[in-house]
Amino acid sequence: MTLAPWGWVIKQNMSDDAADVRRVLAGDVDAYAALVDRYYDRCARFAVRMLGNRDDAEDALQVTFVRAYRALDRYQERDRFSAWLYRILVNQCRSIAARRAHREKVFVREEALLLNAPDRSTSWTGEDEEFVQRVLSELDPLLREAFLLKYIEEMSYEEMSTLTGVGVSALKMRVKRACDRLRERWERIKHD
Amino acid sequence: MTESDQHPYVEWIAGEARRPVVTDPAARERIMMAVRTEPLPQRRSRVWQRVFEPRAFRLSPVASTLLAAGLVGIGLIAGKVANNRDVRSPVGEPKVPAVVQQLPVSPDTVVKFVFVAPQASKVSVVGDFNGWDTTTTPMVRTPNSSVWTVTLPLTTGRHVYSFVVDGSTWSADPSAPLAPDDGFGRPNSVRIVGRGSAL
Repeated sequence: MTLAPWGWVIKQNMSDDAADVRRVLAGDVDAYAALVDRYYDRCARFAVRMLGNRDDAEDALQVTFVRAYRALDRYQERDRFSAWLYRILVNQCRSIAARRAHREKVFVREEALLLNAPDRSTSWTGEDEEFVQRVLSELDPLLREAFLLKYIEEMSYEEMSTLTGVGVSALKMRVKRACDRLRERWERIKHD
Repeated sequence: MTESDQHPYVEWIAGEARRPVVTDPAARERIMMAVRTEPLPQRRSRVWQRVFEPRAFRLSPVASTLLAAGLVGIGLIAGKVANNRDVRSPVGEPKVPAVVQQLPVSPDTVVKFVFVAPQASKVSVVGDFNGWDTTTTPMVRTPNSSVWTVTLPLTTGRHVYSFVVDGSTWSADPSAPLAPDDGFGRPNSVRIVGRGSAL
């Protein structure tokens, strides 16, 4: 199973999102479950990759979806729901990462929880899971965020800029540096 | 493809990281449990709107006169304090500030909405004036016709609205300008309401 690219998601879900938001604002709280279902997996992937463990990621997701609900009456004047939700998520991941920076920084042991996936075809194999998560967690958080938005969520730089409030040129630089760090790591592995 | 193609190792990392993660199946239900303890976002919006939205007041002639006199007094005092110097008015020119001529003493404006929908079994009007609630303002079909109407008292100013046919189909008012896209993908119309009746 794969998640569709960002632009496709925006176009396909736009009218559904609008209908669900209107239902919620009209008093149908359960309509919010459709929005949660539609975006939970995509948000979970970003949060886990960004924060490095499932517990922190689920905290971020819980707060993100509740905050989005609380602010739903203000959403009418904003952007597409998906972009708006992601902006909340990115900020929440930043907050959690900063708050917990003093804790152990490698999340390999917690990440191992994800390895007990019921469906092996839709999840990583254990070694790759652990390895890739460790590689990502070694990146500076700002570089990791830019790398994930660009190559995992497959956003354009313009979308990233809108979402993060960071200029396009700065984002390009962060992505380039992230790729450089990964290449340097590869070189070290080759020579060890 | 992506820029990460330039190095196979980077591409491999990105490809692996794109795989979906497995999450706790109960997490979504926990979110909805938390959401259900929250107040409806619409309610808070209405309170907010009630505090800040423009509105018209009905004033009796006596109250209008008293209000005008009060504003004139405030204007005169403010003028004296601000100037604090001897400024003589030209002979014959009234000393009444311009604000007197801008008193917001207009009555509520009555607006009639009309929509033609031959096949509809019910039509309602939704907009910023009723919280976009599809049940608040049902329209009434004129007997033996396909014309639906409703008359509403509205505050003066700009209003964005739409018609909802059979509870689900949103339609702009063909007789009014379209509103800018609100991000919901719905067609909305704009009506500028002035003072007096707009029937």
